Amino acid sequence: MLTATFRSMVAHKLRLLLTTASIALGVALLAGTLILTNTMGIAFDMLFGKIGSGTDTVVRAEAPFTQTEGVGTNRGPIAASVLDQVKKVDGVRAAEGTVQGYALLTDTHGKAITTNGGAPTNGYSMPSDEELRGDVELLSGHAPTNAHEVAIDATSAEDHDIALGSSIKVLFQGPTQEFTVVGTIGYGDGIKDLGGTTSAYFDPATAQKVLGTPGAFDQINVSAADGVSQAELADRISDVIPAGTEAVTGKAVAEENADATKQNFSIVGILFGIFAGIALFVGSFIIWNTFTMTVTQRSREIALLRAIGARRRQVMSSLLLEALGLGLFASAVGFGLGIGVAKGLKWLMDAVGFALPFTSLQIEASQVWISLAVGVGVTVVAALVPARRATKVLPIEALRESTPGAEKSSKLRAVIGLAVIAAGAGALWASLYADGGMKLFGLGLGAAMVGVIIALPVAVRPLAAAIATPLRLRGLPGELAKQNAARNPRRTSATAAALMIGLTLVVSMGVFASSLKASFGDVLSDRVDADLYVVTSSAQAPGYSPSVLAAVKGVDGVDEVSANGWGQARFDGQDSGFSSIDPGNADEVLALNVEKGSLADLGKDDVMVARSAAKEHGWKVGDTVTAEFAESGKHQLHVAAVYEGKGWISDDFVVSRAAQEALAGPQLVSNAFVTIDAGADRAEVQDAIAAALADHPDAKVLDRAGFEKEASGFIDQLLTFMTVMLALAVMIALLGIVNTLALSVFERTRELGLLRAVGMTRSQVRAMVRWESAVISLIGAVSGAALGIGIGLAMSQILKDEGIKSISIPVLQIAVYVAVAAAAGVLAAVGPARSAAKVDVLKAVVTD
Amino acid sequence: MSLTTTLSPQQATFPGTPAPAARAVGVTKQYGAGDATVAALDDVSVDLDRGRFTAIMGPSGSGKSTLLHMLAGLDRPTSGEVYLGDTEITSLRDKRLTMLRRDRIGFIFQSFNLLPTMTAAENIVLPMRIAGRRPDPDWVAAIVQTVGLDGRLGHRPSQLSGGQQQRVAAARALASRPEIVFADEPTGALDSRSGTELLRFLRTAVDELAQTVVMVTHDPTAAAYADRVLFLADGHIVDEMHDPSAEAVLDYMKNLGA
Ligand SMILES: Nc1ncnc2c1ncn2[C@@H]1O[C@H](COP(=O)(O)OP(=O)(O)OP(=O)(O)O)[C@@H](O)[C@H]1O
Ligand SMILES: [Mg+2]
Repeated sequence: MLTATFRSMVAHKLRLLLTTASIALGVALLAGTLILTNTMGIAFDMLFGKIGSGTDTVVRAEAPFTQTEGVGTNRGPIAASVLDQVKKVDGVRAAEGTVQGYALLTDTHGKAITTNGGAPTNGYSMPSDEELRGDVELLSGHAPTNAHEVAIDATSAEDHDIALGSSIKVLFQGPTQEFTVVGTIGYGDGIKDLGGTTSAYFDPATAQKVLGTPGAFDQINVSAADGVSQAELADRISDVIPAGTEAVTGKAVAEENADATKQNFSIVGILFGIFAGIALFVGSFIIWNTFTMTVTQRSREIALLRAIGARRRQVMSSLLLEALGLGLFASAVGFGLGIGVAKGLKWLMDAVGFALPFTSLQIEASQVWISLAVGVGVTVVAALVPARRATKVLPIEALRESTPGAEKSSKLRAVIGLAVIAAGAGALWASLYADGGMKLFGLGLGAAMVGVIIALPVAVRPLAAAIATPLRLRGLPGELAKQNAARNPRRTSATAAALMIGLTLVVSMGVFASSLKASFGDVLSDRVDADLYVVTSSAQAPGYSPSVLAAVKGVDGVDEVSANGWGQARFDGQDSGFSSIDPGNADEVLALNVEKGSLADLGKDDVMVARSAAKEHGWKVGDTVTAEFAESGKHQLHVAAVYEGKGWISDDFVVSRAAQEALAGPQLVSNAFVTIDAGADRAEVQDAIAAALADHPDAKVLDRAGFEKEASGFIDQLLTFMTVMLALAVMIALLGIVNTLALSVFERTRELGLLRAVGMTRSQVRAMVRWESAVISLIGAVSGAALGIGIGLAMSQILKDEGIKSISIPVLQIAVYVAVAAAAGVLAAVGPARSAAKVDVLKAVVTD
Repeated sequence: MSLTTTLSPQQATFPGTPAPAARAVGVTKQYGAGDATVAALDDVSVDLDRGRFTAIMGPSGSGKSTLLHMLAGLDRPTSGEVYLGDTEITSLRDKRLTMLRRDRIGFIFQSFNLLPTMTAAENIVLPMRIAGRRPDPDWVAAIVQTVGLDGRLGHRPSQLSGGQQQRVAAARALASRPEIVFADEPTGALDSRSGTELLRFLRTAVDELAQTVVMVTHDPTAAAYADRVLFLADGHIVDEMHDPSAEAVLDYMKNLGA
């Protein structure tokens, strides 16, 4: 039996190739996704684990709550006196206070060294204890020892040709300073940066000055004496440190930090996961089809095997063995390709500007096992049913199966499908009104998709009829194409499903992005009245130093500069983002529409709330709101004003920038709006500001058009990304379409022969297959687009409070997507159409 | 003037005699290559008269189907020429040949004559629909009437009996008013009653509609419906019989050893 299996596999090389390719593709995408997400995860782990690897216990200020956005929770500083207490604890081998903060390196020409994908640019205090440095090691030079020295990560040094001894500027939240580079830093194992971030190291006293608060530390890192465990040490330290501080094991801290960051990127993993899922679905579908074909072609061979005495079980195991071998081989090939896919995806993300923290590709045994198991599993399961049939069905019957009526569209299927869709829609609807609607939304979305996939076969006939109406114009080939597409609804819908899912994702994101863009444009033109705009030099940087504002203000011709910041706190027990503004001039440039109270009263203990929030909580001017900051704990803020909450600034809570500084520590500026003196020339002032910013490479000045483009740039990135994803989905779907058409042509050999005999020309036959393919792809594309528009609208509706005010459907763009899908269908049909046209006319005449 | 031109088949026809509907001139068909070469037809020449019903008989493997395929433009001979009316068809390119089959030839096969997705009515007008031509409704109605398919036109092949399916095929073969209708064992899969109905219909088509019909058959009774029977053996036409009776055909076939 084994040799028979092997021989038949080799005998059908083309079929082998097609099947191998489809499984390999599915596995490659899966493996690529696994490798990429794992690599990203490890990059994050490195970012925190590498620095903390020598630290057994961390002493830090307690945070009243965990911030949900950004990297970890900002905490208040810890007094230097605590260090002395910690040092005395039994079992402490070494303890040092550390400081970490924003530090933007520049190259030797004063140009900011920016990172990809919003990876942080950090400054650290360099521990003097070797062990407390963790994996941080000097690759060249020496550690910084005074206020004029810095050591930087080796990647920054190498990429920007910064030699030891050269002097560079470093930007902080405070004033920019110049340092001599005295060392380059690595992180063990040849790693030269922390997951794509840049790092600057200062001696502890300097770090306190430039990164934090003099006389205080961000945290105290402790190394245990031999034989003292992390947990034990943490316990002992907990007993002596003052209230408001806590001692946590080093391991726990590293995990906390890594998890917080990973969450921000989990969406990328999910997206890739969906596409890997589509690929596997298409892959298994192709396997199913291919085995159906194989089995039909081989029914004689199988009958012969059975006639010469092979039992049904032997025939069955021969087929399954074939599937197993094929699955294993193809999955192995697929895993190999997956490494390339991971690289490609990474490259792609870089290319569209969605750079991810990254390190060398991390390949682990578990990924190999998962990929192989999924690939082989899918292959065997997909082969099981056709194989079972093979042992029962006669060749003639197998051929007859393609006649219509063999598959009735089931009412039950329609009912179940509609019920699931209804449940999904209900959840979507409910999510509009529920708190934490996003989870419910996701659930509803999933349910709606599943429902559509269940019900699609029932809709294939009407859809095909609707889509093919224009095809009627093309005479009989068009008519037959429509009929053929609707002939095997389950197969057609399975073929179209890959395109449908792809388009649903892309179109819904498209609608969402376009609404976002429209809202943004509306707000900008209706609500923002400034002459010039000062923004971060790299779109993804968290902000720029407040010192920029002073420099801009000093420029001739500048009238007002009004800056914004952003933060997170807990108001009245609920986590919420807040904006910070300059109360003196914010209303002039931002049209806040203050309805009650006055902006002039927005002092350090005050807050301005949006109308909707005020209404919800019954707040009036003069009431108090409890606000809790991770950095400084609870505060009672007075409601000084109520505003519309629908313009550029739309957060429920707004405080003055001075208040933010007092409550949450030193802050970066997100952006600033500049008005110019009456009579001043805008272009001249812009040039003057640009000149003044020469010493501030973290910021740049833009005019209105530039600002608009910059601020909506991320939406364009999103769209580019979605387009690339669409291309991916279309490519995967293409394989499925080719396969389905090949199977159909194979099954309909006799019909094609008959048509040719009674006078259908080759080009008409080709057109017929092409049209059929176009109808199948359009079924997928149109239903996907419809679904995507619905979901996009729902998504925009849910995010109404988060700034989506205008809803816009990118009609042209969606039309292009659908056209591309249809064109892909026609392209996919080239091969099958050719083989259909080659069908031997006599096949229909000669009965066997 | 060269010899070939002088002796070209068209001019070889006697004036006054109607030109044959189809003719084979020295047609040879070989299958396989080298030592395994099989000659299914060996230098066969035959004229098929217009407005007549011709049957082709012979033992299994004698080349009947092969000859029919050559005449009908479904396959090309290894050598020799085939004429449909005045058109030499072996040299035609695929597209012209296909259009010729569509417009000038009707077919009835032994089985699988109809497209399963189409109704009987749609199947009947299939060649005209392929051509993008409007069928002549009166003519189609007349044929449907003759073939006895009233009330079945909306059915799909799977809802029709084998005999009904063959009658739909016959109606299709005649609906486009072809110059000639070819049928390869059209009654082979039918019971005798259905077979008789179909044969009567073909006879009527010849007698009343002046059709030309060429039919391969194994059945002497079927052959008896024809005006003329050609006997094939080992790729040669060995004999022919005019206005045959079933008995005479049967006797002859016994002698042939079929
Ligand atoms: N495609 C082919 N390849 C090889 N040999 C063929 C092919 N078609 C026919 N033959 C051979 O040519 C000869 C004539 O075949 P043909 O089908 O014309 O016979 P027939 O008279 O129609 O027989 P039957 O009464 O069984 O239908 C046979 O020996 C057959 O084996
Ligand atoms: Mg035959």
